[in-house]
Amino acid sequence: MNSTKTIFRPSGYFKPTGVAEAIQLLEQHSEDGWFLAGGTDLLVEKDVQVEVLIDITGLGLNYIKSDDQGVKIGAATTFAEIAVSPVLQKGPYNILAQAAQQMGTPQVRNMATIGGNICHAVPSADSAPALLALDAILKATSKAGERSLNITEFFLNVRKDALRKDELLTEIQLPMFPDHTGAAFIKKGRVAVVDLAVVNTAVRLIIDDSNTCHGVRIVLGAVAPVPLRAVKAEEMLEGKEPQGELLEKAAIQAAEEIKPISDVRSSAEYRKTLSRVIVERALVEAVAQARA
Amino acid sequence: MTTITLNVNDNEYEVEVAPHHTLLDVLRDKLGCTEVKNSCNQGECGACTVLVNGKPVSSCLMLAMQADGRRIITARGLAQDGKLHPLQEKFIEYGAVQCGYCTPGMLLAAKALLDENPHPSEEEVRMAISGNICRCTGYQQIVEAIMAAAAEQ
Repeated sequence: MNSTKTIFRPSGYFKPTGVAEAIQLLEQHSEDGWFLAGGTDLLVEKDVQVEVLIDITGLGLNYIKSDDQGVKIGAATTFAEIAVSPVLQKGPYNILAQAAQQMGTPQVRNMATIGGNICHAVPSADSAPALLALDAILKATSKAGERSLNITEFFLNVRKDALRKDELLTEIQLPMFPDHTGAAFIKKGRVAVVDLAVVNTAVRLIIDDSNTCHGVRIVLGAVAPVPLRAVKAEEMLEGKEPQGELLEKAAIQAAEEIKPISDVRSSAEYRKTLSRVIVERALVEAVAQARA
Repeated sequence: MTTITLNVNDNEYEVEVAPHHTLLDVLRDKLGCTEVKNSCNQGECGACTVLVNGKPVSSCLMLAMQADGRRIITARGLAQDGKLHPLQEKFIEYGAVQCGYCTPGMLLAAKALLDENPHPSEEEVRMAISGNICRCTGYQQIVEAIMAAAAEQ
């Protein structure tokens, strides 16, 4: 690494054609090699430390498949592809398609990838709440082999994730969900489209034959250093009948669990109030869907 | 420097590029495609929109090397055989051009929409150009021009 460098001037660009080759290249450039997917964060930030770019868009990690285990999404799949994927229009998976439709501009959605979005690990990442609500499992590949990470253990801090330096995120796996699963995604920015979230939320729940909630997930983004599950709010609904007053109380509890900051997009107070409002709306929508 | 091949408006070019060169840099500075506008240089404004394999992208956010071997259309590639594209005709007819800086990007975002969805609703038109900022705020005429071009298809 050249510590005197003050501008973005990578000296190398590689486009490997297989995962093994990509990992090999990263090993060779372990000090200053960076994986490049859509590039839509990299070319905004233009980090001066980037010396060697390893383009991972030619590795065949561009797919959305479903089978009796659930759904598998290649890490280099673009948001434009996720937004219109027939597989992701169905059932609770739809919240991921909705998040994809609301991410960035149409131009950015044609480039930005889901793997890049979560590996960049910013608090406002739109795909993160949906993936947390859907209990995503992330597949990481390194020379040592493959390992699976639960998305709940992936986000460590702002721009910090649990991948090791020698690992490549290759696939995002979503489990099967039973009938009577409901889910909802709501994003609020300062303007209707093309903005980072002030707050985004994704919820998911199952309503069983005795009219009680199970598998409740309430997730909020842009309100803490990492996308956050409001675990106490989830517990309030677990095993309970989902009626209006309880949903409202759970939303109030969820707003208590977040740690928002004030920034250029919103004050912390507004984020708290907005979180309560959109979590309640999302819960009402998810309950209606689960009963449909 | 590495040599890459770009197909721009149906012409093949071999160009020498460095890893940090964006597609926008190369189109403007090496190939003279000054119809591709540079404004925010961070993917917010849409002025640098080009079609890459038919899809609108921000050329400021794509490295030139990522575009190697791809088919690129700029606003200059819209007219065919000396005849303006129907979208260009309608932009003129409806007064959808004020300062003109956003126009190349707007036209390409609109073309990508109509290629995929020949009869869009007004809402779909507005969503399709949501990544293109018009500093003169003349959106109404732009939307009307695109709707009119769609109606005549």
